[in-house]
Amino acid sequence: MLNALTAEWRREWIQLRRYPTEMLSELVVIVLVFYGLFLGASYMAGGAIFSGRLSDIIVGYVLWTLSMMSVGTMGWTISNEAQNGTLEQVFLSPFGAWFILLLRNMASVVISLLFTVITLFSVMAITHHYLVVSLWDVVPALLMIASAMGLGYLVASVTILMKRSQQLLNLLQFILLFLIMSPTASLSGPWRWVGIIAPFAPVVALLRNMMTKGESILSAGDWLIWSVVNAVLWLLVGLTVFAWAQKKAKRRGNLSHY
Amino acid sequence: MLEVDGLVKRYKTKDRKVVEAVKGIGFSLEAGRILAFLGPNGAGKTTTIKMIAGLINPDEGDVTVNGYSVSGKPKEALREIGAVLEGSRNLYWRLTPLENFEYWAGIRGVSRKVARERGRELMSELGLENKLGSTVQQLSRGMQQQVAICAALIHTPSLLLLDEPTLGLDLDASDRIQEYVLKLAHERGVGIVLTTHQMEIAQALADYVSIIQSGTLTLEGLKSEVLERYAGRSYLFELGAVASVEVRRKVEARGGVWSSKVEFRVVLDDPTDIYDLMRVLEPTAIVKMVRETADLAMIFREHTRMASASEEALRGVTS
Repeated sequence: MLNALTAEWRREWIQLRRYPTEMLSELVVIVLVFYGLFLGASYMAGGAIFSGRLSDIIVGYVLWTLSMMSVGTMGWTISNEAQNGTLEQVFLSPFGAWFILLLRNMASVVISLLFTVITLFSVMAITHHYLVVSLWDVVPALLMIASAMGLGYLVASVTILMKRSQQLLNLLQFILLFLIMSPTASLSGPWRWVGIIAPFAPVVALLRNMMTKGESILSAGDWLIWSVVNAVLWLLVGLTVFAWAQKKAKRRGNLSHY
Repeated sequence: MLEVDGLVKRYKTKDRKVVEAVKGIGFSLEAGRILAFLGPNGAGKTTTIKMIAGLINPDEGDVTVNGYSVSGKPKEALREIGAVLEGSRNLYWRLTPLENFEYWAGIRGVSRKVARERGRELMSELGLENKLGSTVQQLSRGMQQQVAICAALIHTPSLLLLDEPTLGLDLDASDRIQEYVLKLAHERGVGIVLTTHQMEIAQALADYVSIIQSGTLTLEGLKSEVLERYAGRSYLFELGAVASVEVRRKVEARGGVWSSKVEFRVVLDDPTDIYDLMRVLEPTAIVKMVRETADLAMIFREHTRMASASEEALRGVTS
């Protein structure tokens, strides 16, 4: 398994290194976004904003982009591999396609995170404004990415069966944005379950408690537990549906010819 | 080494009809042997190959490779299988051969060090050691196919599936691949299932021959036995003038296949049938009559023609 992990990493890295213009344009976009966030927030709210709200915006933005990347990577990988004529070889891996997709997703997230961190530090050094981000913020980030990977498997399942998933991905982005923006955590009665079961909902509540109320992750009430449950649930749902979709695709014989 | 037992594959068409693409196929292959799996387009070759590789799930039957069932123990079975599939690139074109080997070996659980060593070894066997650093897209089509074969062998599988490995390649590349496939089987003990439409390649490589038509195996056996079965039964006739439509029909009714307006081939089970055929041809002059040695191209042509005819006859009876 370690060999598979390192192979996936190396492949991602080689592709980045070999085509520096792609890497450069990705970096430029991230730099511009962060620079815009820093300067825009500074202009609108004055210097005081940098102590609190801006870090929330940046963390929120990073989490959102990483999550969306996790949701989309697996489906994109399947259609891209099919177009490249390598999908069948991926399915010949004894580890199973689900594992290769997971590795690829992890590699993309980590490389993207690396880019983001480097860019963030560079922008902070240039603007002399420093964000205060606790290491504990990593926990909800990981939980959010785990949920996103579960959704990623769902998108991959649709891709494998329907061969197209771009429209679904676009729709999913809006649904997830709605779920994140809605105050699902304050719902009561039977509706409370929506705030627990809906993807990302409890982890967003957890983050809100941590960032706006300044609570520590451990004192953020039940939201930490619900966030773990939510992440595990969506990951399991995604994996189960993907296993079913893979079986169905193999029964139909449509693992290629996209 | 490879046991294919009673494979059945049914597909649903768009109008919800069930079509049986593969109808209870079974065969086996020992290590170090090459099986030429032949058949016309749409006969079920690729479906069978993909069922062996676990890429398509059969509705009935099973495949075992070195004792591991592809459906029951896929992880173990897949470690024993390498495949180069037709219509696929099988490689990342933006990577070099060596980088491809590292990747494909990695996702099969082989370490980078072993992949590099083995990749170099495989490429030098094919005389491509100086291409290790070029990206795959920079290589010729023939070289790409040779690299794909190396990548399929990177985890030292005991079974190699080659679906049309020489399709669209020039003679030189095709010869290199053929030479290498023979070496793999006979010197390294790799079992090879090969599909091809190029009968001369099947003839040159195969130890065993199977012909599939409409999802059913219609001929199978050792190549030498198959050739022996047909030896001396094929005749080539060349006429002195263009045969009339009536004569053409009569020849065809006796199994003759016209290769031009004045030339046809026919396989005769009973050599005395030749008198009947000569009577049919009267009064057209026969300028040449040659008893041919059997080859796979002739056997394939004759066999698929006969199988189609009996299938049509059967359809006529049942409808």
